[in-house]
Order: sequence, then structure tokens, then C-alpha cells
Amino acid sequence: MKAKCYIKGYAAISPQESFSGGFAPHLLTLEGKNMMHVKEPDYSGFIPPNSLRRMSRVLKMGLTAALQCLRNSNAKIPGAIITGTGRGSLQDTEKFLHNIREYSETALNPTPFIQSTYNSVNGLIALQQQCTEYNNTFVHRGFSFEHAVLDSMMQLAEGNATEVLAGAFDEITDEHFYIKSRIGYWKKELTQPAELLESATGGSIAGEGAAFFLFTSQPSDICLEGIKMLYKPSEEEVQQALQNFLSSHDLAGEEIDLLVSGRNGDARYAQFYDNVERQIPDAKVFYFKPYCGEYDTAGAFGLWAAIKEMEQWPANNAVIYNNFYGEQHTFMLLRKVV
Amino acid sequence: MAERVFITGIGMISAIGNNVEENFRSLRAQQSGLGFTRYIDTIHKNILPVGEVKLSTDELGALAGKPGSPEFTRTTLLGLLAIQEALQSAGIADPREMPAAFINASTVGGMCDTEKVYFDILDPQQEGTFLQYIDTLDCADCTQRIADETGLREYVTTISTACSSSANALMYGARLIQQGLVQRAVCGGTEALTRFTINGFNSLKNTDKQFCRPFDQQRNGLNLGEGAAYLVLESESLVNSRKARVMAELTGWCNTNEAFHPTAPSPEGDGAFEAMRKALAMSGKTTADVQYVNVHGTATLNNDASEGKALERLFGAKVPKFSSTKPFTGHTLAAAGAIEAIYSVLAINRQMIFPNLNFSEKMEELGITPETKLLEEYPVRNVISNSFGFGGNNASLVFSRYEG
Repeated sequence: MKAKCYIKGYAAISPQESFSGGFAPHLLTLEGKNMMHVKEPDYSGFIPPNSLRRMSRVLKMGLTAALQCLRNSNAKIPGAIITGTGRGSLQDTEKFLHNIREYSETALNPTPFIQSTYNSVNGLIALQQQCTEYNNTFVHRGFSFEHAVLDSMMQLAEGNATEVLAGAFDEITDEHFYIKSRIGYWKKELTQPAELLESATGGSIAGEGAAFFLFTSQPSDICLEGIKMLYKPSEEEVQQALQNFLSSHDLAGEEIDLLVSGRNGDARYAQFYDNVERQIPDAKVFYFKPYCGEYDTAGAFGLWAAIKEMEQWPANNAVIYNNFYGEQHTFMLLRKVV
Repeated sequence: MAERVFITGIGMISAIGNNVEENFRSLRAQQSGLGFTRYIDTIHKNILPVGEVKLSTDELGALAGKPGSPEFTRTTLLGLLAIQEALQSAGIADPREMPAAFINASTVGGMCDTEKVYFDILDPQQEGTFLQYIDTLDCADCTQRIADETGLREYVTTISTACSSSANALMYGARLIQQGLVQRAVCGGTEALTRFTINGFNSLKNTDKQFCRPFDQQRNGLNLGEGAAYLVLESESLVNSRKARVMAELTGWCNTNEAFHPTAPSPEGDGAFEAMRKALAMSGKTTADVQYVNVHGTATLNNDASEGKALERLFGAKVPKFSSTKPFTGHTLAAAGAIEAIYSVLAINRQMIFPNLNFSEKMEELGITPETKLLEEYPVRNVISNSFGFGGNNASLVFSRYEG
């Protein structure tokens, strides 16, 4: 695949003050639970009041991040809309499950069912922007956003689109937090983001967010050079894959000056991050999970954070490495266009 | 020039059969799989007909070589059975022999099983083995279990675009091959009936209490179904080097969005029209080259009106034979695109057009009617298969006879 993929614009809704465009990383103080929520922007400038009332939380987050990304990119109708979400609208899925039980399957309101459909955010973006082009949604844990990125790169390579709107969204709810706490997703003791990476126990802090990017074939400041995904790899396979990935772009580990790492304080998977840091020895390392928490599509916040770091810091080559609970591993390579 | 993409293996399970040959026999015998559910605990069980696979989850487990494995949901087991057949039919003894993609599709993942224990999961007092399977709640679980069982691992992902999900999975796999990222991609989808989905469609008031009647003036909604289907896609160079048997060529595809309404198509079928038109253009064929359209044909009021209009707009006075096979299988949502892709391949390979059951009265807004008879020895060379879904997601695929 030969096409160039540049990043024209982006927007993120996250537990940080990200929506306004800046990024001054701030570690939150958690109370009670190992869970962080996004700072929700004022949606009224993006979504008409009638729609706003009906829409559930992640739909508003996803749609607004997408619309803000288009505004920031000075674009209206992209050539494709591609998203990733691990959980879709949890709030609606939960609501419909509860309604089925509460009302014994009778007189159910269809809205939560419709909104629980994983592609509903994509449909809303297309509807609001009147975009009738390619539209796709990936729903695969730590390969949701990542395949949205690969699909975008293919769209550009095929020449089907010159601008692709790609992004990801996921929310955390109390109910889902509890469910995942039963199978070790989160740390048992209250852990502050500032202490997350020093932890020697399993689990992480739950997070959420929505981030969108406008990928284009027209040159701009930062180029997404490539993406490599690995499914349930061994440590050796990850090391080999990173080496091959870098050399396929004529780079050595020493030439990478920024490593944006998805290290999440889960001691069970720390070795993967340790190895990558050893292979990229001279880079400044930025750990993004203390700022957004762990979720299926945290990699999208990772890409957003990498771009912000590259804008503020003289990095020419940046690698993003993330894995989701040791199963889905991804490398991305960003290069500053000089 | 992008590589040509060939279909070298097919495998499936649906309400009309546990493998491809059983499905074909039922289609030919014009035997529908619709009936009342035996396995779903719902107040609608004797009211809303469904296309249910005629095996219990335990029986599916035994058949798939996974007896007594509660971590394998019905969704996973349906998928596993279908993919085992697909790989075998492609003559692939060891899928690990080369880097290959597995592109799956699902709308509610393992909901079929998790909805039974969901409130136990929420109850801190409840403990039990079900806790180990909490992760079956999402769409990725079935995909990964199937990937792990088969050894397909170069690209592993799941697509969810409602009723067009597995058509998009096929498209995505074909594009991975054309971009040279893999030589082989196994693509399709799996869907199990759930109380969640039955109530969802029922709350939208588009389920019919009778057997669904696609393209009929009296149609009154869809019947849900379940099943799974996978197609093995391979590049031309791989096919040549391993001398694989080619069943058909995937010559064209298109994904469009209607941008009209969250759950309803546009009355003039704009999205359907564009999807079919562009897929056909990509295949290099003309409207005159198409002998059969396997329509989405859910039998909802909106879909059939809109899809019918799109057919008339695209083909003018010469609309080819078309039929919906949903009266056989029910609407299998994420699996529908792949199930109907296989029916399209069968139409080409067996030179046959399958009838649109339950049709009696022409729709007043259309000048066309579906094919209601089984046509044998019919020269089918190119087929369009349509899958349209919620969120305005439309997908059309073009399958062509292998001409070498």
C-alpha cells in the first residue's frame, strides 16, 4: 500500500481539557472508583435541540467530536466515514436489557435499541453532513479504531477518497464498570492516575473518550506513515514486528524521538511495553493512559496525544504502541513533514 | 492493476440447513426454514415466526467439536461450523500455512447467551462459571474464538453495520487482498437469535406475525433469522500457485450511505441505486450482463418499496430476475450478506435462480414482481447481492462466473 496519509485536522473529547484544541496534560484525582469520565463539551453548538434530547451520551460525544474535527479541518463532506467502537452505546444496550425485563417484553420504546446499534454514530454523522459515501464501523476491542485507520489508508490508496473522517468512541458506565471489575479489568484498590504506572498489580483505571481525525492524501504537517497490528502475539513476535515495521520505513529504533506508549499500569502486560522502550532507546516517552484511562479505543486518544506532542516538541519520528489487555497490539508511525 | 479476487471456499449454516449442500437442497425443494423458536425464552415465541437453526446450542457444540464448552456462545458455534466447512471446501488443511485475514461480522455478539445471565452478572451475590464468560458480551469475542480455533490471525477484526455487516466484511477482505496486505481472507458473519433483537425489531413494529412476504403488496414486516456464513477469498496469484478451485469471482462492490434517516431508506432508493450502480461499474459489467439480483428484500414496507424503485431506476424496462431468499432463512442480520453471497455463488455454479416464496400480489408502486419459481438450467453469469441496513448503510456485491 503506497498512498500517503496526512492528518489535516482532529478533535478529541476526553477526561482532559482536549476539546478546545490544546493539551496541557493534567492528572485527575479520582474518588471512590478507578474510573474517569470525559469533560463533556457544550453540545448545543453542534446538535439541534430536538435531536440532542433524544440522543444518549456516547452518540452526542461521537457525533460532536466528528463535527468538531470537520470544523477544525475546514471540511464539510468527507469522502468516507469510518469509525471504531468496542462497546457502542453501552447506556442504550443496558437500558434496553433493563426495559425488556422491567416491562416483560411489552410496549418497549425502540429508541435505546436503535441507538445501541454499533453503527448509529456513523449514520448520524452521515445524516448530519449529508455524506453518502463509504461508511463503515469496526467493533473489535483494541482493533476497532485501528482497523478504522487501516481502512482509511486503503480508501486513500485506492483513490476512492481524498479525505477520510475516521475516529472512535467509547463510554464507561457504572454498570459496565462493575461487570468488568468482576473479571479483573480494573485495579482493586483505589489508584490515582499519578500512581498508575508505578503499580505492580493487575488491572488498570477505566476511561472513555471520543476522538476523530481527518486523513487526507494532500500533504500537511504530520504524516501517518504506517500501521501494524498483531493479534495475540508472543513477546518475541512483538519485538520482531517492531523491528520489521521500522526497517520497512528505513528507520532504526534510535531514530525515533518520541514514543507514545499505552502502558496502563497492568503488571500482567508491562513486559510488552518494557521491550518496546528498549528497542526505541533514545525517545522521549509519553504515557497517555494516565490521562484518558483504559478502554477499547484508547488508541485514538493515543494518536491525538501523539499529534499534540509532535506539535509542541521537536520530534520528527514518533511511534505509538498500544495493546489492549495483551491481545490486540498496534504500532503506528508518525512523521513530521519538513 | 489490482489483483482479481476469487472465491475458493464456502461454508454456512442457517434455518434451512447445517451446511451448503443442505441449504441448496432446501432452496431447490422450496422448503422454508421459518417457524416458531424452540430455544429463545420470549413472550413472542408462539407469535413471531423466526428462521432458527434446527439444533440446540449443545448440539451445535458437539457438531463443532466443542462439546460442553459454555464459553462458546451460540453465535461462536454457528460461526465455527460455517468456517470449518468453508476452509475444508477451499482445500485448506492448515490455515496457519500463510498470513491470512479473518474478517467477521456481528450485530450483538454473544448477547444470545449473556442476556440469560446478565442480571446475575450485575448481582454481587451471584457467583458461578458464567463470570468467566462475561467478555462474550461484545462482538469481538466470537471472532477471536473462531480465529483461535482456526489459526487465522494476520488481520482479525469485526464489522458491525447492522444488516449490511457481512457484505462489508467481504468487501474489506477483498480490499486487503487488492492492496497486497494478504493473499487470503476468510470473510462473513455470524448471528444468533436473541430476545434482545427480537424485542428490538418488534418495538420498531416491523416484524410480521405471518411468514414474511417480500415484494408483496400485503407484506407486513420481516421475520428474524440466525445463521453464519463465510467465504474464502484469495488473490489470483495465490489461486494460480496453489491451483485452487475457483467457485466464482468477486468482481464488484460498493458501500454507500443514504444519509436519509436512522432506520428508514429513502423512498426512491437513492442509496440502493448508487450501491448497485457503482458495484456494477467496478465489475466492468453492464446492466444487460446481470441475470439475477439477490435482493435485500426484508419484506418491510420501506425496504421493498425503496429497493424496488432502485431496481427500476437502474435497469429501466429490463429488470433481471430477482428474488429475496429471506422467506427461507429469515433475516439473519449480520450473517445475511454472507449467506446471500453464497446463494449468489450457488446461482452461478448450479445455473439456478431461487424463488421468492410467499409472493402473490404485485406492489402497487412498482411495475416489477420477483421470480416466484425455481428456475433450473438458467444461464446465470453475473449476480448482484444487496444488503441494506440501519444507519443508512448500503452494500452491493457483484459475483461473476469464473471465466479463467
